[in-house]
Amino acid sequence: MQQVTRTILSEGVGLTCVTTAKFKRAVLRAVLLLPLGGEDAALRAVLPQVLRRGTRTLPDLRAIGAALDEKYGARIESAVRKEGETLAVGFLSDCIDEACAPGADGLTASVIELLAALLYDPCLTDGAFRADYTAAEQQNLLDRIAAQKNDPRAYAPKRLTELMCADEVYGLSALGTAEQAEQITPQALYAAYRRALDEARIELFYCGTMQPEAVASLFAAALPARLAQAETYTPHTVVRARPAEAAREIVEEEPVGQGKLSLGFRTGGASLTGGDPVAYWLFQTVYGGSTSAKLFLNVREKKSLCYYASAQFMAHKGLLLVNSGIENKDFAVARDEILHQLALCRQGDITGEELAAARAALMTGWRAMLDDPLALERYWLAQAVAGTQISPEARIEQVRQVTQEAVVQAARDTTLDTVYFMKGAGK
Amino acid sequence: MNKHYPALNERVQSRTLDNGLRICYIPKEGFGKTFAILATDYGSVDTSFTIDGTRYDTPAGVAHFLEHKMFEDKDGNALQKFAATGASPNAFTSQTMTAYHFSCTDRFMENLTILLQFVFTPYFTEENVAKERGIIGQEIGMMEDTPGWQAFTGLFEGLFRTHPVRVSIAGSVDSIAQITPNTLYACHRAFYSPRNMVLVVCGTADFDEVCHLAAQYSPQDAPAVGRRDYGTRRDTVNAPLVTRGMQVSQPQFLLGFKDAPRGADESRLRRQLTGELAVRILCGDTAPLYARLYEKRLIGRDFDTDYTLIPEGAAAILGGESRDPAAAREEIEREVAHLAREGVDKALFDRMKKALYGLHLRALDSPEGYARRQATAVFAGEDYPDFAAQLETVDPDDVQAMFARWAQGERSSMSVVTPRQQ
Repeated sequence: MQQVTRTILSEGVGLTCVTTAKFKRAVLRAVLLLPLGGEDAALRAVLPQVLRRGTRTLPDLRAIGAALDEKYGARIESAVRKEGETLAVGFLSDCIDEACAPGADGLTASVIELLAALLYDPCLTDGAFRADYTAAEQQNLLDRIAAQKNDPRAYAPKRLTELMCADEVYGLSALGTAEQAEQITPQALYAAYRRALDEARIELFYCGTMQPEAVASLFAAALPARLAQAETYTPHTVVRARPAEAAREIVEEEPVGQGKLSLGFRTGGASLTGGDPVAYWLFQTVYGGSTSAKLFLNVREKKSLCYYASAQFMAHKGLLLVNSGIENKDFAVARDEILHQLALCRQGDITGEELAAARAALMTGWRAMLDDPLALERYWLAQAVAGTQISPEARIEQVRQVTQEAVVQAARDTTLDTVYFMKGAGK
Repeated sequence: MNKHYPALNERVQSRTLDNGLRICYIPKEGFGKTFAILATDYGSVDTSFTIDGTRYDTPAGVAHFLEHKMFEDKDGNALQKFAATGASPNAFTSQTMTAYHFSCTDRFMENLTILLQFVFTPYFTEENVAKERGIIGQEIGMMEDTPGWQAFTGLFEGLFRTHPVRVSIAGSVDSIAQITPNTLYACHRAFYSPRNMVLVVCGTADFDEVCHLAAQYSPQDAPAVGRRDYGTRRDTVNAPLVTRGMQVSQPQFLLGFKDAPRGADESRLRRQLTGELAVRILCGDTAPLYARLYEKRLIGRDFDTDYTLIPEGAAAILGGESRDPAAAREEIEREVAHLAREGVDKALFDRMKKALYGLHLRALDSPEGYARRQATAVFAGEDYPDFAAQLETVDPDDVQAMFARWAQGERSSMSVVTPRQQ
C-alpha cells in the first residue's frame, strides 16, 4: 500500500501527502478551489497567469527562471482546471526529490516557499497587479478562448458539453467568457484575488520521500495564517441522473476536413459522489475504454469508420461521452453503430472474456497510476473535490467485486442526451 | 553486461543474442508496472534502400502502415490477445524508429511472448491491407486537421530539399494507396531483422528469462539489413519560409536551425544534450530571451524548444503560437548571431546545465520514456543513463560552436500555420 496521509493544516486548508521513495522527482501542488463560473470567472482564469509573472522578491520571468534553473530545473506551471462544477486555480510543480542529488538539501522547502510566494506575495504596484502584466495576460486569455477551436479533436467534446449542459454550471468554461475577459483591469483583478483568497478552499499535495509531518510544517510555515473571513467554499457538483428532455441532435459546420462525432449520455446518477461508479467504469471500459472494447472492435476494426472511437466517463458530473473522427458521409452509420453497441450492452450481450478484459484493464490502470506521481496528483485532487478518500488500491478491490448484472444495469441506466456532429466543411 | 550508475541509483543489464537482437533490462524498484518495448531502427525516413542487390523506393508512410498491420496475425489481432491479461499495448512510428510496446502489472512473460510473436510474424493479405487504408486514411485526415502537425511537417519541408524526412510520417491518402502486401513484406524483411532491433524491459522481470524467451521467439537467422539512401545532403535549407493556411485563431510557427549531421565517431547522447542545452540557453522558458519575447507577447507559455537528430541530419526546433512569427524569428536569429559571436555567459551556462541534468534525471521516473530513450541510445551504441557523464563534458565552447553553425547563412527555416481568411 502506498502511504497516503491527509492533514487539515487549518480551517479550509487540506494537504494530501503520498510518501514514497520510488521516484526521483517530487510533485507539489497548491490550488484554490472555487465555484465554477460566476462573475469572476475570467478574472479567476487569468489570476494564476498574472501571479506566475512575478512575486515581490522575484518580480519578473527572468528572476523566476533563474531561481527555477538553480533548483535543478524545477517546473512551476499555472493551473486552471475544471473539476466537476469546481474550479481549481493555482500552481503545479515538479522538481527532483532532494534525496536524489547531493547538495539538494532544502530544495523541497524552497519550492514550497516559491509556491506560497506565487500565491500570496505577488508583485504589486499601488495596491493592485501591475498594469503591463495584467494587460498582457488578459490578451493571452482572450487568445486562449479564441484558440479553443484550433484542435477539432479536443474541441468537439468541449462543444458537446457546452450544448448538453447549457443550463447547468458544468456547461461553463473554466476560462470564463470573452466578454468577461474584455473587462479585466488590474484593480478588478486584485479585488477578485482578495475575494478568491477569502472564499477558496486550499488544496495542497506532495508526493516524494519527505515525511508528511515535515511537509505539513513546511507548508504551514510558508503559507500565511488565514484571517477571519467569509465562509469557505465547499466543492459540490449537481448530478442530473437523466436528460431533462428528449435526445437532441445538433450539427455544426466547421472549415475542417474530417467530421467529429460526439455523443453525450447521462449515467443515471453514477458519479464520484453517487450511484455505483465502479460498475460504471467497468461498463465504460467494456463499451469504449480500450482496444478490446466494443467501440474499437466494431466502429474501427470491423467497419473501418474511424481511427478513434472511445467512451469517457466524466465521473465528477455523471456523464458518458463518446468521441470519434469520421468521414462526413458516415455520420448516420457511425452514430447508429455507436448506439447499437450500447444497445447490445443493455441487452446483456457482454461475454465473460469482454468483462474479464475490462476488469483487468481497469486494475492495470489503477496499479499503473501508483507509478506515476503526476497521475496521483490528479487522482487525489479529484478525491479532495469529491470529498472522498478512496485510494486506487481500494478501487482495485472494489472492481473485483462488480458483477455482470451491475455492469448491464450501468448500461441500462445510460440515457442519450445530445448528439453533436461537427461537420467538416472542407479546408 | 551489467552497468551500475551509483549517482543515479540506476542499473542496466544488456545482452546481445546470437541473432543480433539486443536486450536491455532496467530494474525499477517499487514499481508495480513493467514496460517492454521492441523497437526497430526503421522509421519514416527509410523509404529508399537496397537489399540483395535490388533497390526499393517505397511509398511514403510505409513504415507507419507496417506498424498498423503487424498487429494482425493469422489467428487474430494481437491487441485482443493482450486484452486477456489486462496489458495495455500500443505502437508508434517516428521519423527514425518503429516500436511496439505494452505495459502490464501482471503476467509479464505471457505478454512478452505475444509481443515477440506478432512483431516477428508478418501476415499481410490484399484484404487486410485494403481495410487498413480506411483506418489510416482517417488517421491522416485527423492529423491534417491538427495545426501543430501541419507546422511540424512544414518545417521539415523547409529544412530539407531531398531528404525523406520532409514527407509526413504517415504519408498521404495517395501514397498509402500504392502500398501492397509485397511492399510490406519487403520492408519487414529489410528492417525487422533481429540485428536491427532492440528489446528494452523496464520494471520488474527476470533478465535471464527475458533473454531466453527472446531467443525462443525471435528468428534464428538474421538477414542483412537494407542499405539506406537519404539522397544528396545539403548544408543549407530548402526554403526559408513555408506557410500553410488553416482554421486557427492566431499563427503557429516552428523555427528550425539546420545543424551538421552527427559525425561517425561522435556520441549521439552528447550531441543531443549539447543541442538541448544550446536551444534552452537560446530561448528555453527560463532564458532571458524567452522573458523578453514573452513580455512583448511574441510568444506564449506554449512555446517550446527541442533538438532532433535524424540520419544525415540534425536540427534545433523552437516554436508555438505567436501574433507575429516574423518578429519572433528576427529576435531569435539575432540572439543566435550574438551567442555565436560572444559566447555564453558562464553563470547562465552553469545554471542551465544544472536544470538540464534535473530534467533528464526526472525522465528516469517514466518507464515508457526511459525505455524509449534507451532504445534510441542503443541504436547509437550507447546507454541512456550515460547522459550524466556525457553532460558533464559539455562546456560553453561546445555550445558556442553549435550556435556558430546555426548562424551561418541559409541555415534556418520557419514553418507558419496562418489563420485562413473565411
